[in-house]
Amino acid sequence: MASIRKLFSSMDWTIPIAIVILMVIGVLFIYSSGVTSAGDLVSTEYAKQIVWAATGLALLVACSLVDLKRVSDYIPIVYGLSLALLAYTLAFGKVVNGARSWLGIIGDYGIQPSEFVKITSALFLARYLDRSVHEASTIKRFALSFAIIAIPMGLILMQPDFGTSLVFVPLYLAMAFIGGINKRYLLSFILVGSIGIVLTVMPLWQTLIASEQSIFLRIFYEKPYDYYILLMLVLVAALSLLGFRFFKKRYYYWLAYGSAIGSLGLAFSLAGQRLLKDYQVKRLIVFLDPSIDPLGSGWNILQSITAIGSGGVAGKGFLQGTQSHYRYLPQQSTDFIFSIISEELGFIGGIVIFGLFFYILVRLALSMRKLRDVASSSFVAGVFGIIFFHFMINAGMAMGVMPITGIPLLFLSYGGSSLWSICIGVGLCLGVGARRYDS
Amino acid sequence: MGDHITSGRRNEPVRVALLIALAAVVFVAYSSHLFYLQVIRGGEYQKKAVTIARKIERLPAQRGEIYDRNYNLPLVLNVDSFALVVVPAEIPADLRDTVFAKLASVLEEPIDEIRRRIPPSYYRLFQQIEVASSVGQDVIVRISERIDEFPGVSWYSRPKRNYLETGSFSHIIGYVGDISRDELKLYYNRGYQAGDIIGKAGIERQYDSLLRGTDGRQYKTVDVRGRRVDAELRDVDPPMMGKNVVLTIDRATQILAEKSLGERIGSIVVLKPATGEILALVSYPSFNANLIVEKGGNNEYARLLNDPRTPLIQRTIQSNYPPASTFKTIMTAAIIEEKAIPLDEKIVCHGEISYGDRVFRCHIRKPGHGPLDLAGALAESCDVYFWEVGRDRLGIERVVSYAMEFGFGQATGIDLPGEVGGFVPTPQWKERRFHEKWLGGDTLNLAIGQGFMQTTPLQLADMMAMVVNDGVIYRPHLLKEVRDPRDGSIVTRVVPEVLTASSISKETFKTTKEYLRGVITEGTARYPVNTKAVTVAGKTGTAEVGLADRWHSWFVGYGPVDAADPDDVIVVVAMIEAANPWEWWAPYATNLVFQGYFAGQTYEEAAAQLGLLGRSMPIGQRME
Repeated sequence: MASIRKLFSSMDWTIPIAIVILMVIGVLFIYSSGVTSAGDLVSTEYAKQIVWAATGLALLVACSLVDLKRVSDYIPIVYGLSLALLAYTLAFGKVVNGARSWLGIIGDYGIQPSEFVKITSALFLARYLDRSVHEASTIKRFALSFAIIAIPMGLILMQPDFGTSLVFVPLYLAMAFIGGINKRYLLSFILVGSIGIVLTVMPLWQTLIASEQSIFLRIFYEKPYDYYILLMLVLVAALSLLGFRFFKKRYYYWLAYGSAIGSLGLAFSLAGQRLLKDYQVKRLIVFLDPSIDPLGSGWNILQSITAIGSGGVAGKGFLQGTQSHYRYLPQQSTDFIFSIISEELGFIGGIVIFGLFFYILVRLALSMRKLRDVASSSFVAGVFGIIFFHFMINAGMAMGVMPITGIPLLFLSYGGSSLWSICIGVGLCLGVGARRYDS
Repeated sequence: MGDHITSGRRNEPVRVALLIALAAVVFVAYSSHLFYLQVIRGGEYQKKAVTIARKIERLPAQRGEIYDRNYNLPLVLNVDSFALVVVPAEIPADLRDTVFAKLASVLEEPIDEIRRRIPPSYYRLFQQIEVASSVGQDVIVRISERIDEFPGVSWYSRPKRNYLETGSFSHIIGYVGDISRDELKLYYNRGYQAGDIIGKAGIERQYDSLLRGTDGRQYKTVDVRGRRVDAELRDVDPPMMGKNVVLTIDRATQILAEKSLGERIGSIVVLKPATGEILALVSYPSFNANLIVEKGGNNEYARLLNDPRTPLIQRTIQSNYPPASTFKTIMTAAIIEEKAIPLDEKIVCHGEISYGDRVFRCHIRKPGHGPLDLAGALAESCDVYFWEVGRDRLGIERVVSYAMEFGFGQATGIDLPGEVGGFVPTPQWKERRFHEKWLGGDTLNLAIGQGFMQTTPLQLADMMAMVVNDGVIYRPHLLKEVRDPRDGSIVTRVVPEVLTASSISKETFKTTKEYLRGVITEGTARYPVNTKAVTVAGKTGTAEVGLADRWHSWFVGYGPVDAADPDDVIVVVAMIEAANPWEWWAPYATNLVFQGYFAGQTYEEAAAQLGLLGRSMPIGQRME
């Protein structure tokens, strides 16, 4: 008992307090989202959310008691089991919103295994980073660590749940960054990813959004020029490598590096264009100009911005929002919860939400400094990455500056699985934070 | 590159700082953007939030059509028409006068009419105010071409009723109109809403719930200018067309009866006694339902309401008259059934009798009919015979009870709104009402269907139906079938319903029928009812109403008297009010209907064959 008391006394309680505040706001506005313009309550989601929030808090506290070092040996098993669960979901899961991502438990209640896999993957990655710390900057470490993440990410992409799988990218980057993976690899990874994404959305961006199509850019995505470009880049990379090998000139190295990144990115985009359907790409870029899709997701963005903007400084007051109660906003209780909060609480409310998230992130980041082992600090970094990415994408989407991916605003959005998984994650972080002085 | 092992640990504070910096950048950027959206551009979005609105557009259900019994040509059609509505709050204040003026010019109405419909107290309303109903397609096209100039203006389809048959048909079919506040209160729970079209009279009102169908709904999102933003049609509840109603009315018979009545104030009923189906129900003066439904219909309605000839009254069921000598049909049945007097016993008519201090005169003045038995008395319609038998042999109680047995004094329950029930006076009623004793003179009056007794033409038709059916009256009705509008399949078929079953013996009815046939063969009606197309039996009636040389003229008859199939028999009642110049038209009108119906002739053919063309005063042209 004494150890638990000691544990609790050295724990950073301000993080759970901030979380509780967010959860309360979340329940209130999930309630608000279920009220129609006529004042009728048409949804009982808020009541379920109270249950999710309470159980989530209990999980958070319970997980803070877990000593990660002692369960370290079981982490690979947990990771393996979670992958198996993901595979099972892929085969037998329930289709919700077009993705086979749900496992029904009892009646309407079910879990979304992909949410929990984020945490188990982070745990396993943290364990691997810790154990491979002696070969810190090898490419093998980069490749293996990336594989740990890529497997669940791929499984989730197959559901297909693009938004949730995307979360693994910041999760990995943050953990690898803190875990000491060679920054050059990470930078290359970011560059390849960025080039790939840009080139993937390029064709639709050109036709739908760009006021003047650039003929030059068309060579990057139109057959057969894209293949010529790819071939050329690969050739340049190979020749430069040979040049570097024989002449040891620095510029050969950079030329090889640049063309290798470019060819990888281009190859990535060619695959992406094949995998993603036009409507999926459109959803990703529609925030750049909502008017290209005035009937679908563009409409949602416009309504969300209107709702937020019309909130003004002090908001319209709880339950007084018009956009939300007239049901202009889609998925008000999940994807667009921030719109309804900003409409009814205004700029002041929005800043409070931002501040609470910022506070949680800063506290998590600061707690890393005191941690002695890579496993702990990289795991905390992973949780940091998850929260940061969810916040940035969801709030940004509501304000019309980020693409629509359908990932929830943690602690606020309605939903049990994402809330439970992040509570588990934060609880584990608090636990390692409180044990920072243990030997 | 081995230095990375240690640098991994050494550089940690830097990396953490980098993460915090990343979070800080997003926090600052997002806070700034939020500030930009909510504080700097907040007012703009607030305006937008109010002006972008979701509109629920009603998709009105097509009202069911109404057919005659042959179910070939509809009597009523729906014509494309629109209701023009305005959401006053959506008109910017500075544009209001311009919009009103433009609306006025498009609708060709004075601008004050628009102002009257949208008073200043409505200016902030977000509800739709109807500016004009039954607007044509051309007006809508003109507005939609320049919808930007008409903020807040929209319209919805509201099919107009086009009554293909009017005149006497309008009395049966009725007409529709906007639901009134009182009707709304009454019918709200049955799903009626403000702005609904509701049947106001006739079949349109009686079977409104069948005809109206179920309105559909379409949810539309529109921007500030009323232009549609969201073209998705997924939020559509399609409308369900109302049921088609098939009437028992036979179009040809109705027109025949209408023309046979001509421009005489009165009515004609043609009834199938075997089922209670009504083949024709004519009342004159009539009206044109199209004029009421059309724009400015209120003026027409007011004109009809103020017409002293009461054209809105459906005289067959909404007017009471003394049955006069037609009542002798019931008296005859009563006398036979009660054996009140031997059938061969004769009573001498001297043309008048004295009773109390009054002299009661038969319609044949002195020296009178002479000695008559019951058959002769009915044929000649001798008042003296029925006075004496009624007063001395039958007695008031039995007269009253037989009158009621034949359905007098109670509404028939026909499926038309506003039926009146007639009246059978009793001694108890007279004492209660006038604080006077029932006198012998009252009995004398009652015995010949005069005095306080009142009946509708339809009740008189039912009286004859009971004779024809040997004691059974089927409830008279106008609804034959309800049909599905899509495939025309029959949803409901009305089966005959017994209204009254009498205990009077078959023999009594048999004798009564023989005597009624005598009225035609050798009695009062032998000249006017001379059709060769069918064997008719019946009874004339001429009611005193206090006008000099003018009387109500009745005839109630049936035929054929020797029908093999009871379904072939029809009962015809003609009633010509005393307001018309006296020409004893009721028997002639009946004769024309029998002739036309059984010979399959039009009015003109029947009138020519019967030599009545010169004497008749048909409406020069049927109003369509």
